[in-house]
Amino acid sequence: MKFTALLKKAGMLLPAVAILFQINTVQAAEKLVLTGASTIAPLAAEIGKRFEKQNPDVRVDVQTGGSSRGVSDARSGLADIGMASRKLKAEESDLKSFTIALDGVGLILHKDNPVKSLTDQQVIDIYTGKITNWKDVGGKDARITVVNKAEGRSTLELFLNYYKLKNSDIKPQVVIGDNQQGIKTVAGNTGAIGYVSIGTAEFDAGNGVPIKLLPLNGIAASVENVRNGSFPLSRPLNLVTKTAPQGLAKRFIEFASSKNVDDLVEAQYFVPLSRK
Amino acid sequence: MASIHQRDLLLTGFVWSAAALVIGSFLWLLSDMLLQGAGQLSWDFLTAETENAGRAGGIAPVLVSTLLILAVAILVAGPIGLATAVLLSEFIAKDNRIARAIGMSIDVLAGVPSIVFGLFGMAFFSAYLGLGFSILAGGLTLACMVLPILIRTIEEGLSAVPDEWRKGAAVLGMSRLSALFYILLPAAAPALAAGLMLGIGRAMAETAALIFTSGYVDRMPSSLHDSGRALAVHIYDLSMNVAGGDANAYASALVLVIMLIIINNIALMLANSLLQKRISLA
Repeated sequence: MKFTALLKKAGMLLPAVAILFQINTVQAAEKLVLTGASTIAPLAAEIGKRFEKQNPDVRVDVQTGGSSRGVSDARSGLADIGMASRKLKAEESDLKSFTIALDGVGLILHKDNPVKSLTDQQVIDIYTGKITNWKDVGGKDARITVVNKAEGRSTLELFLNYYKLKNSDIKPQVVIGDNQQGIKTVAGNTGAIGYVSIGTAEFDAGNGVPIKLLPLNGIAASVENVRNGSFPLSRPLNLVTKTAPQGLAKRFIEFASSKNVDDLVEAQYFVPLSRK
Repeated sequence: MASIHQRDLLLTGFVWSAAALVIGSFLWLLSDMLLQGAGQLSWDFLTAETENAGRAGGIAPVLVSTLLILAVAILVAGPIGLATAVLLSEFIAKDNRIARAIGMSIDVLAGVPSIVFGLFGMAFFSAYLGLGFSILAGGLTLACMVLPILIRTIEEGLSAVPDEWRKGAAVLGMSRLSALFYILLPAAAPALAAGLMLGIGRAMAETAALIFTSGYVDRMPSSLHDSGRALAVHIYDLSMNVAGGDANAYASALVLVIMLIIINNIALMLANSLLQKRISLA
């Protein structure tokens, strides 16, 4: 009968299905899970790969989701190590943090915008919606498009903290998540103002993306000034653990804050720690 | 007043320009991807590991993870979807209370944003069932997402089969099961293929549902319990999070589109050849 033939054919598929679910080969001896800041994730993944090469039976799994997630996952134990692109807050002082690199946050405008610099007060007025036209700060007669970061992003917290603003005071036209998204938004809109990671912006501006970084109180927004600590709007890239790290986590954190990864830090357009 | 002829001309013009707009925007998208990405595309790109956060190297591990996630999703959603569609169209009446309840839940599910599926998948498969960040968790989450599309398209295909065919089968003394396998499903083969294609399309393009379930790890997976980065997640990360990742993002997008076309054609061929052969034999 034809139907049994059909059943037989279906039966022949079963081993294939079984194989698919059977490739649970040997698990690595030790696994380290990192979650958190999307800014750090690519760097941590690269450090993880180099760490795996030196320790063949170790696996480093890096997941993303934002600094707040990194902190809460480290606290809940969902992750062995959290990633946070900011300093720990007062209510997070029960956690331990280890800086592996630095990052500066700079204001960016479209390249064709004639405005050369803005005072702190002008930036505040623009972001709170008191100034809505570039002609009020020495630019062309054009509407200002305010680009703000989404809630939970550490760049946002750093920015608010520096200008002593609350997120509810800000009147943004565009709300964005990741750095590249911010750069693309400003590059595509001559009237936009945004703030992003300096390393990324410096790289993109050098590679023909039509954006420019604004100085802050006369200090140029450059990787160099972040490294020497003179640029005020900068942040540490931290690894976070619930308790003092031990064993594998300790070895990984030591490796990630050592000179062995400086080239990886620079390759991600961040600023390596200055070591004495 | 415009004459009938002129109005007809207007309508013809409108219909053609709408079609041209659709084709034009697809060609624009495709040519943009080809221009920016074709240069990066090579055999090495498909077979090499990712390097420097995806800026350099290839996409081999990402490709393998994507196919595994897709396989899990389709293997799980396919049988369940087919069975539910058969139940809805063949075994219970349209105005039955259960049928309406199932139908409504399917329609609600179909409208749920993918990020909600992602959060559900993370809470249920990853945390509650303990699958963690894994290809299995991602595939199962996608299966939930694809189910409504699959069920609705197959159900519509089955409903379109004329009732005379069912009566004819009954008159010939065929059992319900053989009628289903030899007459109804073959007749609905195009709908099956369409459902599969729509489902695969949605699954392959998914980012939000996968970033928190199958995860971000771009190592070659060695089991379904490993975290594996899907192609769509890779493209999103390269274009939105990694400075200087645009070129490889374009190339990866190109690979995604090519893969979609290939898999869709396979689904179409399978449905047509396997099922329509049987109908001609019967």
